[in-house]
Amino acid sequence: MKRAIGLLGRGGLFAVVALYTAFAAGPFLWVATMSLRTTSEISIDHYALPAKWHWEKFGQAWFNSNYNVYFGNSLIVVVSAVALLTVIGSMAAHCFARYRFRGNRALYFIVFSAIIFPPQITIIALFQILVQYGLYNTLAGLALVYVAVQLPLTVYILETFFARIPGDLFDAARIDGYPEWQIFWKVSLPIALPAIATAVILNTILLWNEFLYAVVLITDESKRTLPLGIQRFMGDQLEDVGMIATGLMIAIVPVVLIYAFFSEKLIQGMTAGAVK
Amino acid sequence: MRTLRWLVAVLAVTFASAALGQQVKLTFWSHWAAEKIKRDFVEEAIRRFEAAHPNVKIEATWYEKNALYAALKTALRAGTGPDIFYAEPDQVEYMENGLLLDLSPLDWSGIEPWAKQIWTYKGKPYGLPLEAWTIELYYNKKALADLGVTVPASLQLSAGSFTDLVKKARAKSMTPMSLGVGDRPFPGAFLVHEALVKKLGLEDYANLLAGKLSWSDPRVVDTLKLVRSWTEAGLLPTTFTTLKLGESHTYFYANPGAATFLMGSFYSSRAFNPPDKGGEPAGFQVGIMKYPAVPQGACEECRTLAVGGSYVVNAGTKNPREAIEFLDAFVDPAMANRWLENVVVQTGLKADLSKIGGPHAAYLKELFAADANAKYFFGLPNQRMQGKPKEVFTQVFNNAFPAGTISVEDAVKQMNAAYAR
Amino acid sequence: MASLVAPTPPRAASTALRVDRPPWGAIVAFLLPAFTVYVAFTAYPVLRTLWNSVRTVLPRNAEFVGLANYAALARDDLFWRAVQNTFVWACVSPLAEVTIGLLLALALYARIPGRRFFRIAWFTPVLMSYIVVGIIWVWIYNYDWGAANALLRAVGLGAYVQAWIGDPRVALPSLIFVTTWMWTGFNMVVLLAAMHSLPSEVLEAAELDNCGWAAKLWHVVIPLIRPTILNLVVLSFIGKMKIFDLVWITTKGGPLWSTETVSTYLYKRAFEWSTFDLGYPSTIAVVWFVIVLAGVLGLTWLFRTRERLEY
Repeated sequence: MKRAIGLLGRGGLFAVVALYTAFAAGPFLWVATMSLRTTSEISIDHYALPAKWHWEKFGQAWFNSNYNVYFGNSLIVVVSAVALLTVIGSMAAHCFARYRFRGNRALYFIVFSAIIFPPQITIIALFQILVQYGLYNTLAGLALVYVAVQLPLTVYILETFFARIPGDLFDAARIDGYPEWQIFWKVSLPIALPAIATAVILNTILLWNEFLYAVVLITDESKRTLPLGIQRFMGDQLEDVGMIATGLMIAIVPVVLIYAFFSEKLIQGMTAGAVK
Repeated sequence: MRTLRWLVAVLAVTFASAALGQQVKLTFWSHWAAEKIKRDFVEEAIRRFEAAHPNVKIEATWYEKNALYAALKTALRAGTGPDIFYAEPDQVEYMENGLLLDLSPLDWSGIEPWAKQIWTYKGKPYGLPLEAWTIELYYNKKALADLGVTVPASLQLSAGSFTDLVKKARAKSMTPMSLGVGDRPFPGAFLVHEALVKKLGLEDYANLLAGKLSWSDPRVVDTLKLVRSWTEAGLLPTTFTTLKLGESHTYFYANPGAATFLMGSFYSSRAFNPPDKGGEPAGFQVGIMKYPAVPQGACEECRTLAVGGSYVVNAGTKNPREAIEFLDAFVDPAMANRWLENVVVQTGLKADLSKIGGPHAAYLKELFAADANAKYFFGLPNQRMQGKPKEVFTQVFNNAFPAGTISVEDAVKQMNAAYAR
Repeated sequence: MASLVAPTPPRAASTALRVDRPPWGAIVAFLLPAFTVYVAFTAYPVLRTLWNSVRTVLPRNAEFVGLANYAALARDDLFWRAVQNTFVWACVSPLAEVTIGLLLALALYARIPGRRFFRIAWFTPVLMSYIVVGIIWVWIYNYDWGAANALLRAVGLGAYVQAWIGDPRVALPSLIFVTTWMWTGFNMVVLLAAMHSLPSEVLEAAELDNCGWAAKLWHVVIPLIRPTILNLVVLSFIGKMKIFDLVWITTKGGPLWSTETVSTYLYKRAFEWSTFDLGYPSTIAVVWFVIVLAGVLGLTWLFRTRERLEY
């Protein structure tokens, strides 16, 4: 009897899991199929599988509709922002974690507390500042803003990790006479690689998809990032559902690939600080 | 001595010709990136002006409206910004902040006085009113014939006949009226304010919009109830809230087709494109009639006339003279006629109506017939209202009320509250 | 770590740095870049917004108006409607997302095969930009051919079809449903990882006590992952208080302000209303900042009290 219930329980469980998978991944699959069909095919039947696989639509979006520009802009902004974040974030985190000095916790708190700042408190002034200093509508301006936006989270993730490195390593290095910079470079960084990886992945995903700052600070067509560019196909006339779907896939696939390869590291990093 | 004089003469000539031949570059930002006919007209005007003025070069950038407004807001704030740009009269913030050049030097005798009035702020004019438009009730001649509805000689159905049309169309599973508010804040409101202006007359309607007449006035409530009776009978498409302006055109004449279409007379900018670019299919016969008469209306001839796309000059421009010269080139009956014949929508420029020809002469004749004997109220509600009343009006009467998601009582309450300080 | 011993140290080994004399030079060097960015793009803008909020900020001049903006804000019922909507969202979402996420994590904890595949599949909604998610769900909610109504019609519940984002009564719940769809998978993955990192002795002990698996889960596992759960709740709360992209791409705050959030209202006041004034939107930002802060502090205080009561 208990066996039967057990089996039923298992089956039921599996059903729930399967249902939820359909629910979570369904829309993604739907967009994937639509990205390979033309809009006229879609208007006939919205849910059919592609009869003919229109791979050329990706080419169209990429070359004829500026997607290569949008993708390029996103790449430039995200890569430079994440690189800068990793460097200055790890430097600051190392300092907070390893050095005891007056004001350490206070300064850390000041940076960390910015995590809860809603974007609204800074967006208007950032708009004014970038316009004033000629950084409005530039990729450099947007990248700098992105660094500031993600700095608190980055410092938080890295600091928690840096703090867990056993102090003996540092003492040994100091006794050996290593200057501070080398201690950072040769002791902290190599050990903290998992946390750095987590921060890099998280920042990349978040900034790749970022919209609010981009929409306020970039209006020039040639400087648009991918989230802004997706709206290109939403023009005056009937929504070009097929091409929008293709555009969406171009935006989604890189991120999904990054996650698929690095999912272990990412989860590790995120639960590191959370449990205990 | 002679060499010196000769040298001075040469230098003088060089300087003079340099000054005359000095290249002036004007930057020009405009809406209508996707509206080929208007864009062609303006680009032709640019070409003609550059030909007549070889030292002036005009660099034009074409935008979609929302993108243009965003780009302008930041550019003007930063103190940069184009020399000449597209604007509409509801953008009072430009004038309030001194961002526009006074256009008094233009030849205003060639421009309709009501158009000048719309662009006048504190006694000075600030815009060249190129586009003007009225709200017309377009109809599918064949569809109405099929439904057995005849348009009277006065071109205006009574409210009852219109209700009849709605019911007949629905009985044949045809949408009675195409209309969509997916991407614009004004089309849905056409239904309500065209009825209100007829019921109240010009003066009371102005008072209503200015908050001096209460929205609980029985005439207002009756009119709202009339419009509600139509929408409840299935007047509008089910996709009304998400249907875009461009899409509403194709909804009317191509797919799936509607009996009537309440739209500004800029209908032509999309309708007269080739069918594969969003235009009318071959053989489509469009008719124009007036908005139905409302019961006990104070002024059945009253209707809205709006100034649409206009061009203004940046107050900070380095080349005010050339900029004004460019705009002045538009003030010419030949230009106005060309606009009417090709773009097929009204204009604030004075035209020579005796000489109108062109490929759409028949359509123009119908348009003028529908506008005959009209008494105009100048400006759409969202051009005349600002701030909170405008926001509430848009949300309530453009979106919610025609869609049926707000009751007449609530709509009246919201509007009255919006004016309270 | 072997590299520590191998190369020759550049200085004599006699002077070891004492911990109680912090190397200020190094500290400043490490902190300077981060703080430069922070001050320039976070701290200064906050102060500037505060400065804006007591002025009318126009392109040519900025005029001091004292607390006039704040007084106007108090009377602004569109703002308070937006606050209400945002708060409802920020309170309902964590409940839904974390609870469902927890249940799903428990389901997977029972060692179902193909765990890694499910983890990736359930995480995809989070990887998509809000813009992408918004566009997809506008299609799903489409009255005529969207999946939501199509599904209802297919199972015979055609009477319940709605204009999901066109009707002011269901627009906000529809959007809350979308964010739940997005974030439940994320919560599930994090909770599952937390569960798996629990020390096995505790679970074995519960096993010995002959608890049913339900009791074991409720009384043993959940209390142990309480910190994770609370972190996720706070994270979700903050995230929903900030929300902009999703609303902007789906309803833009309509219909009839039923989905108007503080961020969309602020954006409209700053960039869409017929005015150049940035003072009033800055006032909105300042007041909202205070509200968010209060919300987060309240939440953490609430949970801290709860924890103390446990022990």
